[in-house]
Amino acid sequence: MTPADSLLRRYREFRLIARDPVLLGGLLVTSAFMLAFVVWPLARVIWQGFFTLEGQPSLIFFQRYFDAQYGRQYWQIFWWTIEMGVLTAIGSTALGFLFAYTVVRCNIPFKPLVHALTLLPTISPPFAIALATILLFGRSGFITKEILHIEFKAGVNDIYGLDGLVFVQIITFFSVAYLILRSLLERIDPSMEEAALSLGASKWHIFRTVTLPLLTPGIAASFLLMFVESLADLGNPIFIGGNVTVLSTQIWIAVNGEYDQQKGAALSLVLLLPTLTIFILQRYWISRKSYIAVTGKPTGGGAGFVKEPLIRWTFITLTFLVLLLVVALYATIFLGSITKLWGIDYTLDFSHYGAAIDRGLKAILDTTFLSAVATPIAGLAGMVIAFLVVRKRFSGKEVLDFSSNLGGAVPGTILGIGYIVAFIKAPLVVVAAIYVALAYYMVGPTIRGRWRTASVLVAGTLAGAGLNLLALDEKGREPLVVNPVLAALGALPTLSIENWLAALASVLVVLALLSLRFVEVQERKVVAVLLVVMAAYLLSRQFISVLTDPLIPFGRTLGGNIGPKLFASLSAWINLFFQPPFALIGFTYSVISAFVLAKWSARGRLAATVLLLAVNAALTFQGEPLALVGSPYIILAAYAVRSLPASVRAGIAALQQIDPAIEEASTSLGADAQLTFRRITIPLIVPAFVAGMIFSFARHMTSLSAIIFLSSPKWQILTSLILSEVEQGGTSLAAAYSMMLIAIVLAAIGLLYLWAGHAFRSAPAELYVPNP
Amino acid sequence: MYLTLEHLKKTFPARGQDGGVAAVDDVSMQIEQGQFVTLLGPSGCGKTTTLRLIAGFEFPSSGHISLDGKLLDDVPPNRRDMAMVFQSYAIFPHLSVFENIAYGLKIKKLPPLEIRRRVDEVMRLTALSGLENRQPNHISGGQQQRVALARALVVEPKVLLFDEPLSNLDAKLREEMRYEIRDLQRRLGITAIYVTHDQQEALVMSDLIAVMNKGQLIQLGSPEEVYERPQSKFVAEFIGLSDFINVRVESTDAHFATVWVEQTRLMVTAGPAFKAGEMALLFIRPDEIVIGDDARDGNVLTGVISKATYLGDKMDYQVRVGANMELRVQAKGDHPHRVNDTVRLHLPPERARLIASN
Repeated sequence: MTPADSLLRRYREFRLIARDPVLLGGLLVTSAFMLAFVVWPLARVIWQGFFTLEGQPSLIFFQRYFDAQYGRQYWQIFWWTIEMGVLTAIGSTALGFLFAYTVVRCNIPFKPLVHALTLLPTISPPFAIALATILLFGRSGFITKEILHIEFKAGVNDIYGLDGLVFVQIITFFSVAYLILRSLLERIDPSMEEAALSLGASKWHIFRTVTLPLLTPGIAASFLLMFVESLADLGNPIFIGGNVTVLSTQIWIAVNGEYDQQKGAALSLVLLLPTLTIFILQRYWISRKSYIAVTGKPTGGGAGFVKEPLIRWTFITLTFLVLLLVVALYATIFLGSITKLWGIDYTLDFSHYGAAIDRGLKAILDTTFLSAVATPIAGLAGMVIAFLVVRKRFSGKEVLDFSSNLGGAVPGTILGIGYIVAFIKAPLVVVAAIYVALAYYMVGPTIRGRWRTASVLVAGTLAGAGLNLLALDEKGREPLVVNPVLAALGALPTLSIENWLAALASVLVVLALLSLRFVEVQERKVVAVLLVVMAAYLLSRQFISVLTDPLIPFGRTLGGNIGPKLFASLSAWINLFFQPPFALIGFTYSVISAFVLAKWSARGRLAATVLLLAVNAALTFQGEPLALVGSPYIILAAYAVRSLPASVRAGIAALQQIDPAIEEASTSLGADAQLTFRRITIPLIVPAFVAGMIFSFARHMTSLSAIIFLSSPKWQILTSLILSEVEQGGTSLAAAYSMMLIAIVLAAIGLLYLWAGHAFRSAPAELYVPNP
Repeated sequence: MYLTLEHLKKTFPARGQDGGVAAVDDVSMQIEQGQFVTLLGPSGCGKTTTLRLIAGFEFPSSGHISLDGKLLDDVPPNRRDMAMVFQSYAIFPHLSVFENIAYGLKIKKLPPLEIRRRVDEVMRLTALSGLENRQPNHISGGQQQRVALARALVVEPKVLLFDEPLSNLDAKLREEMRYEIRDLQRRLGITAIYVTHDQQEALVMSDLIAVMNKGQLIQLGSPEEVYERPQSKFVAEFIGLSDFINVRVESTDAHFATVWVEQTRLMVTAGPAFKAGEMALLFIRPDEIVIGDDARDGNVLTGVISKATYLGDKMDYQVRVGANMELRVQAKGDHPHRVNDTVRLHLPPERARLIASN
C-alpha cells in the first residue's frame, strides 16, 4: 500500500468513528485524559532528567555513575535494586506456582478460604507485611526477642536490609503471581496430560515435557511482572531497607529530602528503562508466545488432580505453612494495634484506635472520599477504552491501549514526580492541544467547509482569550497568557473573577434564550435546560461557599473530635465538585457544546458556535490552566491512572466474552451505538465493571508510591500518614491505621457486591461465547 | 428494482498483500420486492461479507447498494430498515423472551399497547406463545432460533437478512425450520436475503440462488436453473453430485452437439457457444445415467464396476470406463450388479450437458 492509500484508509476509519459523535467524544475524552495524565507527565519527567530547574541542559546525575566520588554509591544502589528485583521475582513466582498448583491440581481442603487468604496482600497497604515483619522479627520483635531472645548489636545482620526486604516483597507480591499461574493452570486441558499418559509417559516426564512448557509463558510473565513490581515498590524499602537503599527510595529521598527534582527525574529514567523494557517485552513478546491464552474455557471437575498422596500432601503442607505465616503476619498487625507498647509492654490497650481517629480522621476520611470519587472515573474510562479497543477499528488504537496500561505499569514514584514536574506550572502545550481537538470536535460537524471551520475556530478562540484579559484569576493575579493581538485590550479595566464568571454565565443564558427559537422543536427543552445548567454551574462556583462555609462552624458547635473534622471535610468535599479547575470546565463544556450545536438549526448556528467557543476558550485558558499541584484533582487523576489498566483489562476480558453479533443484532433492530451500549453492552459487562471497580478502589486506598508526592496538608493521604507514623516510631498507631484501612477496603468490597448483585441478572456463560 | 448491488467490492487489509484481500469482488445483483434470495457458496466465498455489506456492518471499498431507489452508502445499519437473524441467534441474554422480541419496537418508541399487540402476534406466528417471561437460557435451541426470527420479523423490515440461521440446529429441526421460515416470508411478503453453505437448504427455500466463490458471483438463477443448467464446473460440483468427462466437440447444431468419448460418439445437450474442435466438459448427474439392461441403444458407454455401495434407497456404483475414467452412477430399485461386472451406461442426450472446461 502506498502512503497515500494508508492515509486514505486512516481517514476513512476516522470517518466511520466520526459517524457516531458519542463514540468520537468518548475517544477524544479518554485520549485527552491519557495525554494529560500519562504521556505528558512521563515525557516531562524524562525531559527534566536532562535539564536543571532553570532549563539549562545538564547530565550531572548521569555522570555521577561514572565519577569517583559518587560512582561507587550509585552503582551499589543500582545493583542492590536489581538483586532485590531478581530475588523477589524468583521467590514470589515460585511461591505463586506452589499455591496455584496446590489449589488447581491437589484438591486442597478449604479451597475458597485458601483463595481468599492468599488474596489478602492485594487489598492491604503496601507496607503492611513490612510492618508485621518488624513486629515479629525486628530488633524488639515478638519472635526474635521474646521467644528466641536474640540480642541485636549494631552491624549484626537483623531483619533490616536486603534479605528482610526480599522476604517482605515475596509475601506482598506472590498473590499476583498466584492469580496469573492459577488462571493458566485452569486452562490447561487435562486431556493433554492424559494423552501423554496414555502414550506411556510417566507423571514426572509429563510434568517436564507437557505441563511445564505450557506454563512457561505464564511463568515468564509472572517473573517479569514481579520484577517490575519489586522495583516499583517504595513502601517496603523505606520500612525495612535499613542501610540498603534502592532506586525507588533514592528517588524519594532526592525529591522529598533533598528537594532536587532534577536528580529525582534523572534517577527515575534509570528506573524507568528496565521497567519499560520489560513492559514492552511482556506485551509484544511473551503474550505472543502464549499457547493457552487463546483457547478454551476453564476446565472444572476432578480431572487432572494429582493422585499420588506423597506429592499431593507435600504441596498441601507447604501451602498451609506459608499461609500460616501470612495469617500470622496479619494477626500481628491486629495484635500490634491493640498492644500497649510492642516489645516492652504486651498488655491489651485499645487506645491506639482512639489516637488514630484523633490524629488521622481527616486523612482517613479524605483518602476514602478521593478513592471513592476516582473509582467510577477509572471504571468508566476503562470501559470506554476497552469498548474502543475490542469493538472498533481505528488507527492509534494500539497507542490508546498502550498508554492506558502505561500509567499503571511504570513505577509510581516516577509518575508522582512526573505529576509534580508537569503540573507545578500550567502545561499550556497540553491544554492547547486538548482545546484544539475538542474545539474541532465541536465545530467540525456543524460548520461546513475547511476555511469557514478554521475562521470560526480562530474567531471564537481569540474572543475567548480576549475575555481572559479582562479578568484577574482566582487568586487575584493578572492573567497569565497575554495575547499579543489583543494586548490593546489589556488597557481596559479588569474584572474580578466573580463578575467575569457572571458575564460568561450571562452569555450562556442569552444562548439558552436564543435556543428556544433556533433549535429543532423537539430538542428545544433539552438544549435550553442544558445551557441554563451550564450557566448556573459557573455561578455556583462562588455561591456554593454560602452553603459549605457554615458547615465548618456548625461542626465546631458539635464539639468533640469527630464532629468538627467531619464537617470540615464535608465542606471541602462539596466544594470539590463545584470548584474544579477552569480548564476542566472548559473541556467538559466543549463536549456538551458539540451536542448542543448539533441540535441547532442552520440559522444562527454560526453565531452560537462562536459564542460557545468563546466561553469555552475563556474558561479553558483562565488563570493557570491545569496547574494542579496541591489540589485534590491531581490525586484523583493519579488514582485513576494507576488503576486504569485493571479496569481496561476487566472490560476487555468481558467484552471479548460477548458475541459481537449480540451488539449487531441491536444495531440492526434500529438502535444506534449509544443505545446499544446502554441497553445491551453495559448490562452484560456489569460484573466485569464491578470487579474492576473493586480492584480500583482497593488499589486507590492502598497506593503509596505515586501519591506520597502529591498529598498536601489540606488533602492528607492515609498511606503516607502511616509511613510518617512509623518513621516517628509509632508502630502500634501505624498498625491501627492499617487495620482501619483494610476494614474500609473490605467494607467497600462488600457494598459493591451487594449493589452489583442487585443490578445484575445472571445469564449463562454459553450465551456470551461466540460460535466458532 | 427493489434492492440493487452495483459492482460491490470489499477488500480487507492483509499483511504482505498489496491492496489487501478482496472478500467480495465486483458483485452485482438485482432483487425484486418479496423475493427470497440465497447466497450460496463454500466457507470463505464472501457470502457473509456480502450480507454484512447489505446490512451495513461493513462498508464497501467500492460499489453501491440501494434499496427502494435510495442509495445506502452513508446510511448506518440502524437506519437501513433491515433486520438480521444471526447464526449464533445473538439473543440478548439479560432480557426475557418478550423483551427480546419487543426490543426493536421499543427503540421505535411505539406505544406499549401497540408493542404488546405486535409482539403477541409475531409470537403466535412463530409458535412461541406462552414463553413471554422465560429467560433465553431456559428455552431450547429451536425456540431460541424462533425468538431470533420473531425479533427480526416484528419490526417489519424492508429486508430480512439471515446469516446461516439454521446451522446450529439438529438435522430434523433444521428441515422443519426451512419450511417454516419460507412460509412466513411468503405470507408476510418480506424480501429476504439468506446466507447458507447448505445446497439443499438453498434449493428448498429460494426464489433465486446466487452461487458465490472466491468473492465473485458465479451464477444467479432460480433453483431449477442452477441445478439443471449450471454454467460452470464449480456450480455443477457444488450443487448436487456430478460426473465430468473431458470431451472434444465434433460438431454442433442449435441444441445438441456430438462429442467423442473413449472411441464412442455421444450426443449431448449444448448451447450455441460451443464450436467444433474445442475441448469441453460433459456433465451429468449420477442418477441421470441409466445402468444395465435398462440402457437403450445409442449414447452408451461400456465399463466395469469397481466399487458398489449400498445406500438404502439406492445403489452407488463406481464404474471404470476405458483406461482412466471413473463415473459415479446411482440407481434405484434392484441392484443386480456386482464388482467386476461389465455394464452398459446410457447417457440420455437431454441430460448430458456440455459446459465450458475452464
